[in-house]
Amino acid sequence: MSAGATLLQVSGLEVGYGHVGVLRGVDLAVSEGDIVALVGSNGAGKSTLLRAISGLLRPSAGRVVFVGSDIAGQPPHRIIDLGLLHVAEGRRLFRRQNVHANLELGLYGARLDRAVERQRYDFVYELFPMLAERPQALAGVLSGGQQQMLAIAQALMRQPRLLMLDEPSLGLAPIVVDQVMEVLQRLRAAGTTILLVEQMVERALDIADHAYVLQNGAVIGSGTPEAIRGGDLIRRAYLGAVSDRGA
Amino acid sequence: MDLDLLVGALTAGSLYALVAMGFNILYRPTNVFNFAQGDLVMLGAMFGATFITLLGLPWFVGAALAMLAVAALALVEEKIAVAPVLNRSASSHGWVITTLAVSMILANLVGLGWGPDPIAVRPPAPLSTDTFELLGANVSSYQIAVMVITVALVLGVEAFYGTRSGKAVLAVAEDRDAALLRGINPNRLSSWSFFLGGGVAALTGVLAAPELYASTGLGPSLLLKGFAAAAVGGIGNNRGALLAGYIIGIVEAVAAALLSPGYQLAATFAVMLVILLIRPHGLFGRAEARAV
Amino acid sequence: MGDAARALIRSPRTRPALLFALALALYLAPFAVGTEYRLFIATQMAAYVLVAIGLNLLNGYGGQVSLGHGALVAIGAYTVALAMVDHQWSFWPAALLAMVAAAAVGAVMALPAFRLSTWYFALITLGFAEVVGGLLTEWRELTHGFAGVVGIPKPVVLGHTLTSFDLYWLALSLNILALVGMANLLRSRFGRALVAVRDNPVAATAAGVSLVRIKMMAFVTSAAMAGLAGALFAVQKTVVTPDDFTADFSIFFLLMVVLGGAGRLWGPVVGAVVFFLVPELLTALQSWRMLIYGVALLLLMLYAPHGLVGAIETGWKRLRTRLGLSNILPAPSLATARETVQPVAGAALSVRDVEKRFGGVAALAGVSLNVAAGATHAIVGPNGSGKTTLLNMISGFYPVDGGTILIDGRSVVGMAPHRIARGGVGRTFQTPRMLPQLSVLDNALLGAFPAERQGAAAAALCLPRARREQAASLGDALRYLDFVGLADRAMELAGELPHGQQRLAEIARALVGRPRLLLLDEPAAGLSLAELDRLGELIAAIGALGTTVVIVEHHLELVANICRSVTVLERGTVLASGTPAEVFSHEEVIAAYMGSHTSVGQAAS
Repeated sequence: MSAGATLLQVSGLEVGYGHVGVLRGVDLAVSEGDIVALVGSNGAGKSTLLRAISGLLRPSAGRVVFVGSDIAGQPPHRIIDLGLLHVAEGRRLFRRQNVHANLELGLYGARLDRAVERQRYDFVYELFPMLAERPQALAGVLSGGQQQMLAIAQALMRQPRLLMLDEPSLGLAPIVVDQVMEVLQRLRAAGTTILLVEQMVERALDIADHAYVLQNGAVIGSGTPEAIRGGDLIRRAYLGAVSDRGA
Repeated sequence: MDLDLLVGALTAGSLYALVAMGFNILYRPTNVFNFAQGDLVMLGAMFGATFITLLGLPWFVGAALAMLAVAALALVEEKIAVAPVLNRSASSHGWVITTLAVSMILANLVGLGWGPDPIAVRPPAPLSTDTFELLGANVSSYQIAVMVITVALVLGVEAFYGTRSGKAVLAVAEDRDAALLRGINPNRLSSWSFFLGGGVAALTGVLAAPELYASTGLGPSLLLKGFAAAAVGGIGNNRGALLAGYIIGIVEAVAAALLSPGYQLAATFAVMLVILLIRPHGLFGRAEARAV
Repeated sequence: MGDAARALIRSPRTRPALLFALALALYLAPFAVGTEYRLFIATQMAAYVLVAIGLNLLNGYGGQVSLGHGALVAIGAYTVALAMVDHQWSFWPAALLAMVAAAAVGAVMALPAFRLSTWYFALITLGFAEVVGGLLTEWRELTHGFAGVVGIPKPVVLGHTLTSFDLYWLALSLNILALVGMANLLRSRFGRALVAVRDNPVAATAAGVSLVRIKMMAFVTSAAMAGLAGALFAVQKTVVTPDDFTADFSIFFLLMVVLGGAGRLWGPVVGAVVFFLVPELLTALQSWRMLIYGVALLLLMLYAPHGLVGAIETGWKRLRTRLGLSNILPAPSLATARETVQPVAGAALSVRDVEKRFGGVAALAGVSLNVAAGATHAIVGPNGSGKTTLLNMISGFYPVDGGTILIDGRSVVGMAPHRIARGGVGRTFQTPRMLPQLSVLDNALLGAFPAERQGAAAAALCLPRARREQAASLGDALRYLDFVGLADRAMELAGELPHGQQRLAEIARALVGRPRLLLLDEPAAGLSLAELDRLGELIAAIGALGTTVVIVEHHLELVANICRSVTVLERGTVLASGTPAEVFSHEEVIAAYMGSHTSVGQAAS
């Protein structure tokens, strides 16, 4: 169930790497307060889409409107200032620095009072108690699950309006994936909108309010999790051409 | 070993460590090794000599002006010789040649501007280059000051890397994309690092001037010895650079005593090569993982 | 422009004729305009060109920045000087000794380059130049110190002392030989391997090139040429002193190479000519020399990184385009009739309990799989399951932390990746690793590197055996390009090919090496639906030839269609293994991929 205004609107987005066209005319909308899932097999272009939204990549065509401003082509730090944070795949942390330093870097450029910063730390340590236990540990020696939590925590230091996560379940044990999904649900309850890219379709659909299916750089369908589950889209996205040709 | 020699070695070593630190500061966010660093040090010495000796300004004022001038020059270097090459392709090594070109330009300008005669620079009162006896060695108050200032600077720069901006620089060096995603602007940090590295280079030159004389021949030898200190200590590691600087100072002094002063550079290089071949990342450096 | 002009530009005989005329003119020039002074300058320039040609091989084509070549020239010059003056040697053996001495020192200089990165190496060569300069002064017993070596006699041939005319002709002849030899070398497998080492060392390694040996070859060759130039230098100037060989001297050569055009055959010649002419015109600006050179170097690197020759080439290409001529050369025709590609005896692969750790994380925790000879096998699994890591370990790019890997019963654990490649293992990468500035054909030819046996000398001299091998490799490359369907794009630049075709080109390169085991890393990634079909057919055809094929893939349908057996990895361990039908209906496999209840097997069967 979607409630709230449209926070993020992507229209006709096209992105390419050199000669390769990776995204062709992608349309996507995220409503405030929702968890929106973006699923598809590898190489479908999910990561590319997030990178184009967060400013790491320049789209060659199309618009990305976030809270009323067109952010397509803007540098990443400006997009972050607007409240759109991206947790990249592979848990991109600063492994040579410790937990607390990583969180501090999450506040880079935020220009907040000491008191407000303190609150942010408190919020994050409360949400992720295992990080509070070892703030001096180097990020590189944490377990996969802890690293994923730290990566999310780092982004949360900016209190994002929209948090984008790229395959947080990557390489994690099922129990840890459960924990991650639970955190996402708590964040939604606290008012954070989430765009979740996942290869683990079922997990994503379990917690999402709305879902998009991406294949070969284009959206082949969207709808509620029930609609997506009931239909043919997942099979097509993961298995490729067989069903397409028959249809 | 003769204690006087040791004092001289440690003083020279401190200066080499400072040159190395200048390298490290520039290297951190950019992964660029500035071939013009020796010339920046030399410029600092020449500016300092001009302001202090020729124009008679107070030492600290002259030093500060020299630092500002060279820092600005380093910033210009970053804008015209480093950033354009890095932007073209992240793995390009064109900056080796562009920073080399800047070195040639600076060396020539200094030669034309100041001529070949060295300028004497006196240390600020109450320090002096007169030696007195301390613990069985002849040491001057200036030498002590140089050693103390070097250690203080190394600790100070280390402290900087503990601040948020400093951590941001380390973050950029480790993972540029991840840094971008957290609102860090690598280009701005590169510019500031060059500014700071230029300032440190100038200070090194000003400090070196009373001992080594401000002359245009300073550049190349400082470049190589500073590089040796940085490489042996582990590129990016300032404490390592300090220790490596001392090591090189001592190797030099021993070579001069045992062989002859002309063999100093050869000895230093031989030692550096041996260390690098055994530990390619320096004594305190860290190996990077390779990805296929 | 008329048809006559077009015909002239297009004719294959134009270039050699022009070059011959140029050479003739240069030989005859002294009779027309030769003064002592001009001959002196020309001979000196010729010596510099020799150094620059060698440095261009190392720097322009090999990508290694050396600031120490001036010291190598010094070694050559001093060797000749000391041999002739102190030991009364004749010039010719002395010159040979000079080349050997410089080559030996060049080899020593190369050693740090293998373990350290490029810019470390540049500084070390700079330091080396300073050290040699210092030693020339210090080591008085050997080098005569400051005063240098005086009274070097002119060379003597059969009783005739060489005049300045003769020296000029000698230098000119050496230059022509060097250029021809260099052209031959660059056209051969060594040229390609060198460019590969510069632009994509991983691709070079996967094609069986030993990075160390190629770099060493480039160093030693360029050092020998510098030594020979030093020999010329010594007998021309008759006096050598340490002052002749400052560290700036080395920088001049680099400047010549960059100015003329690094990585362009004629670059060093153009660079040396311009470099020599300019000071003649700017004698008033003598004291500004280094400044001008510095500014020139800076501007070149920023705006014309391929130097004058590069700029001319770009202009020439644009002119041809405007004249309606294609810039793509015609593909070489095959003298042999269209033979079919030969079948291959596939290798069996056995992986047992293999482990890999990165820091504290176990990427692979005891993986075993067996692939029969000639079979096509897939490794699938979600992201982060260790598929590419396993491939990298089989091909030797990652060291093995535990377990065994046997190819045809022979263990490859601990073998260097290029040796594994030479043993008959070919591979492709997730992102195609091409040499973008070379043609598709040249990229494919890189795969033939281990098959040819000719040495660098044979290649430079273009000996008959070398030519035979090159023709055979060319035939192979064209055949395999045809096999993957790229025959009509063979002469285009690899960098301009669309992604899917780059992938095919990479497969062709791997096939040219006649691998018995072919490893494909996500070959279907980024392909369109039509390209996917072609890929499936191609892999089936490769398997039909007898090659054992192991594919890492995400496209489960492709896997189901073409693979006999499948291994499913999840978080570093084997989850399931068997035929596609068995594996894809396995509950846990589906859960691993999607955490779900949708049956992948239903659609695949």
